[in-house]
Amino acid sequence: MSVSPRRTAIELRPRAVVAIAITSIAGLFAFLWPLFVSPDSGLSHSGDAPLVFAAILIGVLAVVLAEVSDGGLDTKAVAMLGVLSAVGAALRPLGAGTAGMETVFFLLILSGRVFGPGFGFVLGATTLASSALITAGVGPWLPFQMLAAAWVGLGAGLLPRTKGATEIVLLCAYGAVSGLLYGAALNFSFWPFTVQGEQALSFVAGAPIAENLTRFLAFDLATSLGWDLVRAVTNVVLIAVTGRPILASLRRAARRASFSSA
Amino acid sequence: MHPGAWWLWAIGLAVAVSQTTNPLVLLLAAAAVTFVVMARRSDSPWARAFTLYAVLGGFIIALRLVLHVLVGLKWGEVLLLPLPEIDLPSWAAGINLLGDLRLEGLLAALFEGMRLAAMILCVGAANALADPKRLLAALPGALQEIGTAIVVAISVAPQLAESARRVHRARLLRGDGARGLRAVARVAMPVLEDTLERSMALAASMDSRGYGRRGETSPARHRTTGALTLGGLLGMAVGSYGILDTSSPEWVGLPLLLLGVLLGALGLASGSSAVSRTTYRPSPWRLPETITALCGVLAALAAFASAHWEPSTLTMPLSPIGPPPLPWLLTLGLLVAILPAVLTPAPPLTRERDRARRITTTEGSHP
Repeated sequence: MSVSPRRTAIELRPRAVVAIAITSIAGLFAFLWPLFVSPDSGLSHSGDAPLVFAAILIGVLAVVLAEVSDGGLDTKAVAMLGVLSAVGAALRPLGAGTAGMETVFFLLILSGRVFGPGFGFVLGATTLASSALITAGVGPWLPFQMLAAAWVGLGAGLLPRTKGATEIVLLCAYGAVSGLLYGAALNFSFWPFTVQGEQALSFVAGAPIAENLTRFLAFDLATSLGWDLVRAVTNVVLIAVTGRPILASLRRAARRASFSSA
Repeated sequence: MHPGAWWLWAIGLAVAVSQTTNPLVLLLAAAAVTFVVMARRSDSPWARAFTLYAVLGGFIIALRLVLHVLVGLKWGEVLLLPLPEIDLPSWAAGINLLGDLRLEGLLAALFEGMRLAAMILCVGAANALADPKRLLAALPGALQEIGTAIVVAISVAPQLAESARRVHRARLLRGDGARGLRAVARVAMPVLEDTLERSMALAASMDSRGYGRRGETSPARHRTTGALTLGGLLGMAVGSYGILDTSSPEWVGLPLLLLGVLLGALGLASGSSAVSRTTYRPSPWRLPETITALCGVLAALAAFASAHWEPSTLTMPLSPIGPPPLPWLLTLGLLVAILPAVLTPAPPLTRERDRARRITTTEGSHP
């Protein structure tokens, strides 16, 4: 092992950055497909589109994760990914089901912040994957959840550097925004699927974006906006209360593993 | 059984189910799935999840009906329940709340919900039948480290409860009897520290066992892998736009998407060749696996055949309401999908094996 200057836990080489960028574009299509679909496309009526995109996302995720870990990950990073995913996966059932109290994201945000964007990206994917495997929750929604959580972790690693109370406030704000966006994005991709045959709520392929967005908002209000709000509040409260000690603890671990930390 | 076989079988069934809203066929499919799960699930914890999926299916049907009553478009002749209609302002895109409840619209919503529930049940069957740890062992070599991290997570997660118990006991011994939220805070941080500490020990032991060792790769090989993976990703990204937007040229859609998948697979294979590793207890792919996967594929093909030759049988006539017809081809396909219940080997009963092991090993070997 080299004793050269400290590296972040998972170094993002230029090739991996390009791979993540292309993945994000593919992910945008997969999440926002109701806005792009033309009325005469084969996917606009069948309602199978989320399943098709789930299959595409499995391929995309496999390739991008292989690219990020190409050339070998540090075993310390692998072990750290494993135990942090385990904590996330163990926390998840605590909140799940009780009105959207999603307890997995605050740890993901704090870890992404400390260990950097590359680690956050992979941790988001592995946390959701191991949680699904433990609770037997593997399904077409899993690739979407993995990619969305990977984005949350990546974004947390890319936040500007601040110190002290400002950092906690920044992370709280990020937790609120990402909690809301995560819910909306997952809803959006499965929206036409869940309300097939219900004209008032379902999307119209090729209709003006504003009109489709109104219908989506109606659907969101009717089904899950409450949950998303609770998730955002959960993130803020947990980060505000536990942020300082957990950040310190994670930074200590990063120092011991001789990773550079933000 | 190789977990991939069960997943292929379940995906085939889900595709078949997605083609129809005929309640007769949907009930038949649900029965077929349940029968196979009951016959071939092991006594592992995840096998019990099937019941949860059944409950989730029921919840989805209920949600679908509630949505229909609240905001759905009520159509049909038979009036079930007269309800006042509430108009919303124009910015709400012409959505009206409530309104007279009619049988035909309600039935249509019920069948849509049943179709979604049946698909969920297929996913639940795959979760109950396929062993997740064996699924991870089947990952390609290029994803070895990610797979290792997930395996670590799956094995560490249950130990966290034990860790929490230990910390809690230590606190009690020191006379710290805090309860409620305060106790949670005082237990959580030591548990996190303990876990992070464990990751260091784990990394050291992995290092000493040769994890993370990679074979030498030539720079040319490295460049090829990169070109293949990036090309594959680009193909999948542009291809997924192509299948959505029909105004783009023909080749931008499905052909480009398939090319992207092919390049990505080649990239994974190229990256895997740099990794030399052996698998402990590999899951072989033998005749039962082939039969299981084939049964799922046949069910999906039967659904497409029904959609082509007898499309009117895939829905129940609603205006006027008539008895649901029986699509022969799809029914045959669903009957074929039951075959794995008898043609695959019965799963080993882990509970008995574990009990035997627990008796032979000394108790209290853990600190």
